[in-house]
Amino acid sequence: MKKAAGITRRHVLGAGGAVLGVGAMGVFPRRGWAQVPVSLQLSWLHSTQFAGSYIALERGWWRDGGLDVTLVAGGPNAPVEPPVVSGAALVGISAADYTAAAVEQGAPFRIIGVAMQKNPFVIASLAANPVNVPSDMEGMRIGMALANTPVLEALCRLNDVDIDAIEVVPTQYSPQPLVAGEVDCLLCWETDLPVAMTIQGVENVTMLMADYGYAVHSQTYIATDDSLATRRAEIVALMAGEVRGWEAYREDTDAAAALTLEMFPDAGLDPETQRLQAARQVPLMFSDLTDANGFGWWTDETVAANIDTLALLGRTVTPDMWDRSILEEVRGA
Amino acid sequence: MILARPLRADQPAQNSPLRGLSRLLSGPLLTLLLWEILGHALADAFVLAPPSAILVYLYENLGLMGRALAVTLTNAAAGFVIGNLAAIALAVLASAWPRSDAVVRGLALLVFCLPLVATGPILRVVFGPGPWPQIVLAALAVYYTTLIPLLVGLRAVPAGWLDLVQSYGRGRLAALLHVRALAALPYLVAGLQIAAPAAFLGAMIGEFTGAERGMGVLTLRAMRSMNVDMTWALATVATVVAVLSYLAIGWLARRFLHHEPPVILATPAGAGNAGRGQGALRGVLLTGAAALLLWWGALTLLDLNPFFAKGPWEVFSALVLAPDAAATRSALAEALGQTAIFLIPGYLAGLAAGALLAMLIVLVPRVAGVAMPLAIALRSVPIITTAPLVVLILGRGALGTVVLVAIMVFFPTFVACLHGLRQAPGRIIDVLDSYAAGPLQQLIRVRIPAMLPAFFAAARMNVPASVLAVTVVEWLATGNGIGSLMALSASLSDYDMLWSSVVLVSILSALGYAGVGLLERRVFRVYAPEQLQ
Repeated sequence: MKKAAGITRRHVLGAGGAVLGVGAMGVFPRRGWAQVPVSLQLSWLHSTQFAGSYIALERGWWRDGGLDVTLVAGGPNAPVEPPVVSGAALVGISAADYTAAAVEQGAPFRIIGVAMQKNPFVIASLAANPVNVPSDMEGMRIGMALANTPVLEALCRLNDVDIDAIEVVPTQYSPQPLVAGEVDCLLCWETDLPVAMTIQGVENVTMLMADYGYAVHSQTYIATDDSLATRRAEIVALMAGEVRGWEAYREDTDAAAALTLEMFPDAGLDPETQRLQAARQVPLMFSDLTDANGFGWWTDETVAANIDTLALLGRTVTPDMWDRSILEEVRGA
Repeated sequence: MILARPLRADQPAQNSPLRGLSRLLSGPLLTLLLWEILGHALADAFVLAPPSAILVYLYENLGLMGRALAVTLTNAAAGFVIGNLAAIALAVLASAWPRSDAVVRGLALLVFCLPLVATGPILRVVFGPGPWPQIVLAALAVYYTTLIPLLVGLRAVPAGWLDLVQSYGRGRLAALLHVRALAALPYLVAGLQIAAPAAFLGAMIGEFTGAERGMGVLTLRAMRSMNVDMTWALATVATVVAVLSYLAIGWLARRFLHHEPPVILATPAGAGNAGRGQGALRGVLLTGAAALLLWWGALTLLDLNPFFAKGPWEVFSALVLAPDAAATRSALAEALGQTAIFLIPGYLAGLAAGALLAMLIVLVPRVAGVAMPLAIALRSVPIITTAPLVVLILGRGALGTVVLVAIMVFFPTFVACLHGLRQAPGRIIDVLDSYAAGPLQQLIRVRIPAMLPAFFAAARMNVPASVLAVTVVEWLATGNGIGSLMALSASLSDYDMLWSSVVLVSILSALGYAGVGLLERRVFRVYAPEQLQ
């Protein structure tokens, strides 16, 4: 049903694309005009991880841009690439390594924005037995999904750490094995498991892998070549809302967390956890680079660093996987 | 609990209500006490919450839990109804038109073997946001465990009854309506009872494909935030719901099924078994052809993008023709090898445990008061929450996974065997009684042979069920084997690998199923020839 509706809408859009394109830039008043339905595929369950989008939605910035945006929740069994490639979602939130893998498999994706300038991967450990620098991991047991072995290998290569001196214990994605003493450290995100431990009163230390050479853009916005050609105005309007939403997020992360809780009362979110998570993702998302150029920005240098790290992960990519033209239009608009 | 009451013949004559009540309560109370103690003892490990903490959590978050339960329960109920109706329709089709039997069974098996890891995202793309992926996954989780007992039940008919229908000049349809349908009802009940917890689990795992609310969403949240009270509160609610639905179906069945199960022993084997080998081969070929056609047709009809929707040709190409085909094959072989190490012992242990506990309950009816609620609860606790506890207790080696698979296999086997043991004809039991044969003699000489059809039905349907269990555990907990390979392939967009895994897992499950079937035939030739008609 959903699909059929999408096709009709697209036909309508095809006919009036030019008009809508102009409209999206604010030449026409939008009142009474049908909003263009657009889906943004999130990479995980609703939480402050996507609070910038919630702000854009709640304050009507997309509506003013002529879009009726649906934020589609992700989950552990909800890969982002299929809905984006099939057009069910106009834009998806992925990461440079996943996008590189998909491109290798023939998916026509481009990265059109980078929410997390610094990769959120950390090595988390207990304060009593901390990992402060990569070499501390030697002789320790690390709990992680075996799927992330290339990530650990890359970190070790980048920092001359002997990976054979680290014992890898396959664990589910939970802080429990660390707290229970089954492992000495965890490979996880800065913004989830360490936050959970802090909230539960477990003192912990995180070592951000991005500070040790692991340069992989994360929470990246992806779109297909086809959409970039045929639905450009919608993508620009969508990203304009994202940029505005995230800039507002940065102003007051507590308010962003409060909005998240208000919008998703059934998601089982804990207020304190959400506030801490919201605050902790700011340093990952904003930098001198974004201060100068706006949210989501990147440069040839950061792309080059990404390509080097991706090569360590076994992915060969070229700089044209990144397409900054949408952000440039947003900035110019 | 009431359901676990043994046959009329075994029932103690002096069963005062007070004694019944104390027996009913002593098991659960003891369990609760142990749980409370263990919960406090393991507080630092963040794996188990004591019942008191769970109650406090539930009281404080009643609204949240209520809304989540309503969502998941609605989806599970819809999936339960759809899945079971589909199973009944398929069973009737196979029974009314025996020629279709092999293909119906084969296709049903193949579809049931499709791993959730692979079907979830595709259902999400097909249906978009909303409850349908959850409902479909719940339906997929139940239809097969209803279909198989039902097919057995439709045959669990004394040949004389069918002869009677024939002698009145009536055809297959009349036999189906008047004889087979009634004979199948107890088996249908067994299927529905197993289906109830499965539907709930299916709906919960369905929420992993990107739902906004529900028990599965909350479980993910609770586990990631290491909120043990919330995790176990969710598991408790899920368990209570599953147990209640199990009991409710049993109660309804006793309300409306008044007739005794039919006598099914000692009927001679039907004629026409000569060309069976040839027929089986034809069935396999037909099923294979139908599966390929269905696969190709579904992809074409749904107009799925070839980036993630791979057809038969792409899979063949990835496994045989592509330059990296050898690497793909060896990755698959390695993952399958890892999985087999967990799967096979877990499967066998689950079967043995299920059958033995059912026998124990028949021998020592008193055990039922403790064992039955525990058995239902064990199976109903969502595997995603029990996994960390089992792993903590048994370690991260193979044992944890083996036990989890065994738990998944154990319960359907147990229920089926219990029903089977009760199929023992009362008159024969009476004969043994009159010769003063003890319960053990009765068990060995009458009940176990009477149980065999149900046991083998459970053994067959547990082949795909155990594959499902092992892949889910590997995917969510241990990160080994084919379950993890499929999840990894999906996240890395290696859809050739994902679909190849799906095909291989399905074919291997079907082979395992066929293997159990072969064994079954040999045993039935001696003990239950009416099943070979």
